[in-house]
Amino acid sequence: MEGISATVAHVERILAFIFGIVVFFVAAIALKNDWKSKGLENQVFKMMLALLALGAFLAILASVNVLAGKGVEI
Amino acid sequence: MAVASVTQAGIVGRHHEEPDQLYVETRELRVQGFLLFMVSDLVLFSSFIFAYLYLRNTGQGWPPPGAPKLDLALASINSVILFGSGATMHFALENWKHRNFTKFANWIIATIILGAMFLSGQIVEYAKISATWGGSGIFGAGFFTLTGMHGFHVFCGIIYLTVLLLQALQGKYTFQKYTGLTLGTLYWHFVDVIWVVLFSIFYLY
Repeated sequence: MEGISATVAHVERILAFIFGIVVFFVAAIALKNDWKSKGLENQVFKMMLALLALGAFLAILASVNVLAGKGVEI
Repeated sequence: MAVASVTQAGIVGRHHEEPDQLYVETRELRVQGFLLFMVSDLVLFSSFIFAYLYLRNTGQGWPPPGAPKLDLALASINSVILFGSGATMHFALENWKHRNFTKFANWIIATIILGAMFLSGQIVEYAKISATWGGSGIFGAGFFTLTGMHGFHVFCGIIYLTVLLLQALQGKYTFQKYTGLTLGTLYWHFVDVIWVVLFSIFYLY
């Protein structure tokens, strides 16, 4: 049972790493494309896309155990 | 087939309606009003987040005795799913701006599915924690209040996006008048960004 849990966690980490990179680049490219757009909501969009890229980056680091807080199962 | 015909009819309708003067004059006000709502929501989350951080740092070390171990691998993939839904929602709005209704519909459906997957992942995590956790305390107060509140926002977002999709199918929005879709996208991004903070404080800090 423990072996299955470890395998599942391993698969989750690999998927999080791969899709995290995809999401990071998608958010970064979307931010680059929207960079010159004007208007109130577009400024908010840009800020949120930047934070989305940051979140994806954090998830990538967490998936490879570079970042892990106290009280988490590594 | 029925959806396709509605879609086709909707596209035809969407091309021929120009924004009226009232729409142009009130659009910015509606966006500002929605942003104010988001600020009020941000204040709500902030107050709970700072309360949690305060309690966590004034206690006798972290994690408190009896607190369960959080599953970082599950949280990572769940986070990527939610952040991915932010990307798909962005694509949905971009396709609407480029007058591609079919792709808009596909991307917004993908967003709804990813949102539902995130909620499912959260339910799995709650079940795992409940199995090993004894009861109350700072951990429970902070973790379940904040992630539960966020999960409720995701749930509301799924309903919101479903309504937007149905309204778009019915031709409520045109390629010139689509403030509702813009605001829906803003809301979904907001939910994503809140999770960046929650993911950081619960799993990375």
